[in-house]
Amino acid sequence: MAEASITPESFLPLTPAVFHILLALADAEKHGYAIMQEIEDATDGTVQMGPGTLYGSIKRMLAAGLIEESDDRPDPTLDDERRRYYRQTGLGRRVLRQEAERMAELMALARRKHVWAVIGSRSILT
Amino acid sequence: MRESAATVDLSVRVYTWLLAAYPGSFRAEYGNHMAQVFRDVCMRDFRRGGARGLSSLWARTSLDLLRTTVEEHIERGIDMSREKFVRWSGWALMAGAVLFAAGLILGSFDPSDMDPVGGVDAFYEISQVVGLALGHVLFVIGLLGLRSGYAIRSGSLGAGLLLLAVIGSVVSLGGLLSMSSTEAAWTAWMGGFLTMTLTLAVFGIVAMRRRVFSRWNFAPVLAGVGLPLLFGIGIAGVDSVSGQAPEWASFVAVALTAVGLILVGYRMQADAGTTPEVAA
Repeated sequence: MAEASITPESFLPLTPAVFHILLALADAEKHGYAIMQEIEDATDGTVQMGPGTLYGSIKRMLAAGLIEESDDRPDPTLDDERRRYYRQTGLGRRVLRQEAERMAELMALARRKHVWAVIGSRSILT
Repeated sequence: MRESAATVDLSVRVYTWLLAAYPGSFRAEYGNHMAQVFRDVCMRDFRRGGARGLSSLWARTSLDLLRTTVEEHIERGIDMSREKFVRWSGWALMAGAVLFAAGLILGSFDPSDMDPVGGVDAFYEISQVVGLALGHVLFVIGLLGLRSGYAIRSGSLGAGLLLLAVIGSVVSLGGLLSMSSTEAAWTAWMGGFLTMTLTLAVFGIVAMRRRVFSRWNFAPVLAGVGLPLLFGIGIAGVDSVSGQAPEWASFVAVALTAVGLILVGYRMQADAGTTPEVAA
């Protein structure tokens, strides 16, 4: 798939699963369990992705060119089993950035309408 | 420690078995990885929360499994080409004919057909209901396939007759399914079935003229004349004592209809993929 011919805007808005997976891969390549673990930790357990949702999303993201397979290797923190690692593509990085910008604009709009306010480190709905 | 390993192993084994619900290609590509991830999560949740943690995991995983298997199957799509549909419809028509005939014949052994379902004659009553209901459903599918596969070759008259046959079968099925409620349902059942068979008989004449099937173009005529003949015999030669058509007439009508439909169904599944229209 030629990345240059596909615009990041065409993927928006992202589903929550795709957004979280791209976010989890933003800093380093990871295998499936590590992706699930990072998503759960980052959302304080509110988002718990099952294997079906994870690999269904991975399948579609691979087909769309948002992520690519890295290699199969063991995770030294887990066990000796070989695991398939995934990483973002350039397109995936641009799509994630566009989605984050879109959500930031929506947040700014909500703030202007006094629907959303930030007090100290806590956000509240007004 | 040994207990936790055995519990996790059992969970993973059950989950791996449940992965069979996914489409084959998806399972081949990701099945092992999914089982691997599930094992990791299993061990973590059992370590944190014991049996309760595992139960919570299974609750989440079951929902995930249910939703994503449906998603994956829908995404794979049901690649029902016309050829496949016509072939399967042919089998449906044959099966429907057998069930219909079996239902009617077994139902005729019911000594008291006006009593409620149950008792010593329950077998005959249930066989009749199941045979007729399933038979009619399969008739609808079979006739849809017949129209789908042969409408163009049959010309506008033939296509119109096939459409009428489909409508008749649907009306008949509706009447059958609501038969316990009103007399109108009985009328719908018989009227729909009569429409279906009469139009099939006329379609058979069109089929013989245009050579719609590769062989046995007379088969729709055979399927269609049984019931109208029964009506004719009933009107012209009614047994003056009982006021009903003789039993042999009913048997002949059922047999003709069933054999005719079986022949049509056989031709549909045999011709699928070999005739230009059906292969298109």
